[in-house]
Amino acid sequence: MAVLTPYTFIQCPCSDSSTLGRPSDPNSSTITEADEDERTFDPRAPRSNFSLYPLEYLLYCEDCHQIRCPRCVSEEIVTYYCPNCLFEVPSSNLKSEGNRCTRSCFQCPICIGPLAVTSIETRPDPSLLAAPDNTAAPHSGPYALTCSYCNWSSTEIGIQFEKPNSIHAQLAKLRNGGSTRLTAKERKERRKDPAYRRYQATSSGEGESDQTENLDLETQFANLKAFYQNQLADPNSADTGLAALGDLGFSSPTSLSRIMSIYTGGSLQDRKAKSRLGAMREALKPDEGLQFAHLDESAAIETLRGEGHDGTASITQLVDQPPNLGEEHLHGRSRFISELRPIPYLLRTKRSKRCPVCRHIISKPEAKVQTTRFRIRLVAGSYIPSIAIRPLSLSATAGGGGSSASGATLPGALLEPLKPAHFLLTFKNPIFETIKVTLGAPAETPGRFASKVTVLCPVFEVDANTDVWDEALREGGATGGAGSGGGGEKGERRRGRYDEGSQANNGNQLEVGKIWERGRNWVSIVVEVVPASLRLDQGDAPLREDEDVLEIPLFVHVEWEGEAGGDDVLESVAAKDKGGEAREKRELAYWCVLGLGRIRK
Amino acid sequence: MSSKRHSILPPAPSGPKPPVHFSSSITIADSAVLTGTHSIAIHGESVVHPRARLDSLAGRITVGRRCVVHERATLGAVGVSGRVAESGAAVTLADYVTVEVGAAVEAGDTVIGEGTVVGVGAKVGAGAVIGKHCTLTPHTEIAAGEVLPDYTVVYSNGMRRTDKRGMAELKNKGLARQIDVLRRIIPSNPGKFA
Repeated sequence: MAVLTPYTFIQCPCSDSSTLGRPSDPNSSTITEADEDERTFDPRAPRSNFSLYPLEYLLYCEDCHQIRCPRCVSEEIVTYYCPNCLFEVPSSNLKSEGNRCTRSCFQCPICIGPLAVTSIETRPDPSLLAAPDNTAAPHSGPYALTCSYCNWSSTEIGIQFEKPNSIHAQLAKLRNGGSTRLTAKERKERRKDPAYRRYQATSSGEGESDQTENLDLETQFANLKAFYQNQLADPNSADTGLAALGDLGFSSPTSLSRIMSIYTGGSLQDRKAKSRLGAMREALKPDEGLQFAHLDESAAIETLRGEGHDGTASITQLVDQPPNLGEEHLHGRSRFISELRPIPYLLRTKRSKRCPVCRHIISKPEAKVQTTRFRIRLVAGSYIPSIAIRPLSLSATAGGGGSSASGATLPGALLEPLKPAHFLLTFKNPIFETIKVTLGAPAETPGRFASKVTVLCPVFEVDANTDVWDEALREGGATGGAGSGGGGEKGERRRGRYDEGSQANNGNQLEVGKIWERGRNWVSIVVEVVPASLRLDQGDAPLREDEDVLEIPLFVHVEWEGEAGGDDVLESVAAKDKGGEAREKRELAYWCVLGLGRIRK
Repeated sequence: MSSKRHSILPPAPSGPKPPVHFSSSITIADSAVLTGTHSIAIHGESVVHPRARLDSLAGRITVGRRCVVHERATLGAVGVSGRVAESGAAVTLADYVTVEVGAAVEAGDTVIGEGTVVGVGAKVGAGAVIGKHCTLTPHTEIAAGEVLPDYTVVYSNGMRRTDKRGMAELKNKGLARQIDVLRRIIPSNPGKFA
């Protein structure tokens, strides 16, 4: 079994079920909404999975004075870039070109390794004297994309490139097997070409010869679209109804609004609209977008016989395939490895994050792709106290005291059921103000196995995160009698700690309401737990996964005096000018979960 | 003052000194380790890097022409099965074989075909027969006794595919040029093993 290191997860207030207005749990449905605030947070509730985060994942909004988790921030995309070439892609290009790199960055369709452009042309051996001229010449001739990991090469699907750059554009024009295909623009030009029109006219007069032409998806769509637009614009397709209504084509916006009014109201016009739709004919030629289905799959079956299961593409390989507009029609498509195309890299984004309430930016990365720095990043770790958990072994200090419990001495050791164990919680204050911490924990943990929890010192103060040197200097001052009240108090506290230490030596080490240890900006307190026995009675459901982990819900309430008017600077400046101390009481309250360890089964 | 740094660890027990058959054109580093009781033959223009280990305890080791055995690669390791070659040939490398850093080829009638690359940290089990021009990508493992057809690429946790590039000749040429460079870089001392 994996060793469990103690952890602290903090619940983001955004997931509070009372704010969601939905019944949170079928088990607790008896509790009314009014009691919701009083309810103990249950770390085992299915919903809790989605609201608990380590401190490092959380952000903090300075204006709302609230914790923000990845779920409750609104994101804005700063830049799009290719992860391979690190080129930024403007968002205007994104709309026209899609969300993939349009340069020469490709992934292997077999193993998703990066592909490199290499020359296929074998260079003459430099040791041969016969071809001295060619050795000086750079790489030339056809190029291919090759994967250096799995040795895949685009020549396997019959694709070669003429130029080593702008592979994406070249690839768009190539079908598998190397035959070229026309892009939409070229096709449009071809249609305008009088020579091609003449050819079309003759071939359609001759009959079926052109119908076997394979249309790829893009061509078919373009043909169909052109055909139907023709049909709609054609005044002959409209039947001779009321002249006042009839002379407006379907494609005009006024007739569209009329159709909408028909759907909402009148029945007479409704029938009329239907009859008009019926007057349109369907596509009859490939030129109009007609594509016959290839129901003959004998070729695919034959290949499957030859290559077997290894020759077919896996689901991940198929999913990774980019949408290919040059692809064959759905019926002509098969799923063999030999038909996979190189994957252009998907673009990545850099995102800034905003508080959803006050719209202030709480995280903003540097816009340049190459830098990983952030311009703004308000991490929760620099605003709310961090909680570190350490098992406390009393047997070493107690000297054989009767009350001493042989708790988990090693981090990650199993907790003995029904034997009291002690843990040190160290609260470290990151802000420059003294904070007052009030803890609340249920006497018994929620869940099937209720362990008993006692926080020995639920109310305490943690000193400000002042400069290390400030602290040292002030201590010197305090002994000289020049220290402020705070300094004197601090000295007293320090002494208090030593007193505790001496008491500990007397065997009366765990005193309720006393801080275990304190430092410059941290305080350690003791939590006593009596792990529940995991014995199952007859007919009980078996132990679920991780049900043996002892998790304590802990309500943390932090109070401090901050500078007033954080969002209104002018006001606070004015207040300072008056000489009044513009200070404001701030508070923050949240649930967190302490995972202490596994209970021995 | 000697600028050479010495290891604090005691020198590894080198075991018995095997009889060797070296071609005159090979490059073998001074710090390569050759142990065992059976003979070790290295053919023309092959390169054995420093700290490569050739162990002929289980049987004969034959390295073909223009092979490269990289650092910390082990030929003829006695694997878990502890299989000893029945025919007397523990490991046979054909020509143009590259055994990369930290790779291990276990002893026991193991044959690696021409032009094959055994990738970094890969493991070839005892009795495996690797075909010609195969590529074993880093950290792949070939089970004992497996037979790999020619031009197979083993990648990503044992997936197999066939190399259809047809670049075997080109690869051999590249290897020959690499050997040219290596010969200049690695100081050779075949006399130490004789």
